[in-house]
Amino acid sequence: MPIEIPTLNFIALAPPLIVIGTALLVLLFDLAVTDKRVLGYLGLVGVVIAAGVSIAMGPRPATTFQAMAISDGYALFFNLVFLATAGLSILIAIDYLERHDLQRGEYYALLLFSASGMMLMAAATDLIVVFLGLEIMSVALYILAGFNWRQLASAEAAMKYFILGAFASAFFLYGAALTYGATGTTNLNQIGLWLSGGNSDPMALVGLGLLLAGFAFKVAAVPFQWWTPDVYQGAPTSVTAFMSVGAKGAGFAALIRVLRSGFGDSAYSADWALAAAVLAVLTMTFGNLAALPQKDVKRMLGYSSIAHAGYILVGVAAASESGVRGVLFYLLAYAFMNVGAFAVASALERRGEFSTTQRDYAGLSQREPLLAVAMTVFMLSLTGMPPLVGFWGKLFVFRAAVEAGMSWLAIVGVINSAVSAFYYLGVVVQMYMRAPAEYSPRLVGEESDAKKPAAVNLEVAIGTAVLLAMLLTVVLGLWPGPVASLVTMMPLG
Amino acid sequence: MPVDQIVKTVVFVIFTVMTLGGGLGVVVSPRIFHSALFLVLSFAGVVGYYVLLDAGFLAAVQLLIYIGAIAILILFAIMLSRGLMAERQSQSNQQWWIAALVALLIFVVLAAVLWRVDWPVASQQALASPSNAISQEGSQLGRDLLGPYVIPFEVASVLLLVALIGAVILARETES
Repeated sequence: MPIEIPTLNFIALAPPLIVIGTALLVLLFDLAVTDKRVLGYLGLVGVVIAAGVSIAMGPRPATTFQAMAISDGYALFFNLVFLATAGLSILIAIDYLERHDLQRGEYYALLLFSASGMMLMAAATDLIVVFLGLEIMSVALYILAGFNWRQLASAEAAMKYFILGAFASAFFLYGAALTYGATGTTNLNQIGLWLSGGNSDPMALVGLGLLLAGFAFKVAAVPFQWWTPDVYQGAPTSVTAFMSVGAKGAGFAALIRVLRSGFGDSAYSADWALAAAVLAVLTMTFGNLAALPQKDVKRMLGYSSIAHAGYILVGVAAASESGVRGVLFYLLAYAFMNVGAFAVASALERRGEFSTTQRDYAGLSQREPLLAVAMTVFMLSLTGMPPLVGFWGKLFVFRAAVEAGMSWLAIVGVINSAVSAFYYLGVVVQMYMRAPAEYSPRLVGEESDAKKPAAVNLEVAIGTAVLLAMLLTVVLGLWPGPVASLVTMMPLG
Repeated sequence: MPVDQIVKTVVFVIFTVMTLGGGLGVVVSPRIFHSALFLVLSFAGVVGYYVLLDAGFLAAVQLLIYIGAIAILILFAIMLSRGLMAERQSQSNQQWWIAALVALLIFVVLAAVLWRVDWPVASQQALASPSNAISQEGSQLGRDLLGPYVIPFEVASVLLLVALIGAVILARETES
């Protein structure tokens, strides 16, 4: 019997492969290097190379491995989102882990593995590969969430995330199995072909519903959001920054491809658009209302990330090319402004403490004017104020909804943005209009400098992350043209 | 009804009792060790289904992986965890009836859907063709794993590596 040689187009998957290779190198060097910060910078080099390769590959679609994955403009754009997030998160972690005595080489390896899983999810055109990417991303994130092993809250976050994440994976697998049962294939394009041929099957509809539920868990959409605040609060802040953008982005990357390539041209396209619209309204409203009374800034950002999942779902619900473009732009914007906000929060965390309350921001404009300006930029951008990048993200997804005849959805979104201004601006008010809080020692052995105001730990790497994120938030806001036109050149292949 | 049909039905009922009874035992047993043993019973029932469906390779895999690896691993984990062996505790709290209601609802929905589906039935001819013979099953799977499914196969190894590193991190003695 002849042996068929499979077509192995490794080049098409070069960016995730580079990231996996870097992760392995980090693991290897971990044995030899005593200063673990070096490993962070090594990871950063890998991330930059992978980003460069992604850009060099350009938006020419190339399928690979018997149509298991594709490197189209869509996947490459998501690569940039994930790599930007990973790069900034590594910069935050280099100093953050040092300060909290958590510095370990495996951290950077797991973070890179997780990023490679996200990139595979964006490139996958087969439910099996989507699932494997999802699991690589999630398993690494479960461990990272519990990386702060001395704190009970971190262990709780890891446990909660693991159990609910495993639950979500089960939903996803059940949905994939039923879809396979109905259509006879796990390939998204084949599923699309079968469904567009006028075929319909109640099993495929239930499969779609379960797939949607699985993804809703991962992107933290209501009613599957209950894990979010506890996990975001308990995990180390450098991890929260990474997963708030990365896991959400990867969930949306795979969700949109499944919906559009698989179920786009089917009898169910109106069903999933309506489901996404309902999820969007619930998610936005719950996230914003729950964020209002929060005193802990990390928890507040956790709820606000639920709200942002809602805004992005508006773009999904539009079920159009312009909706997809809006989501792409939004996620890139979200990467910079949200990771930036977490970078400031992690810079303000004192040694031995793992969260910041509103009081920690009081009078920051006098103590650290630059940091206060940066946080103000991130908060305004998250609110959606022009001319920052968050404004354009919201504009594009809401416009897509209006074009799709869902003006009501855009109106709900705008009202929600107004509500969100209350809690985002609350932080700004603290920074500029309140006197600095007296430093109250909460650690044994720190009584000596009890009179000093809280020290701000603005080390080089975190400072770089804050500065880069702020610059990109402002520059892309003032000059959104290049990214907006880049997004139009990045269709689903 | 011909004799082999009767035998098949009786065997099916036995396997069903094993699977469902085992599943129920997992959920209601007050000792976690007993739950794990019930899980083995439930897995064994599924092996029987695969045998009845002429899926010999799947049956072997189910036996080797689910009973031979996963269930045994669970038993080891329980035995090696301090205090878990002797502990007796109820698995339900005040909200058990809500959970039961939701589970029932999901069951009804799924059952209704699966009832309505127009299941394609392969012709006897297709079933008898050599490409579907049981002896071919394993080699075809191997061919597929190194052919169309080579990327999932490779990516799965990355997943296992990540899980392995994670387990080492969680289990490592914390310094200081």
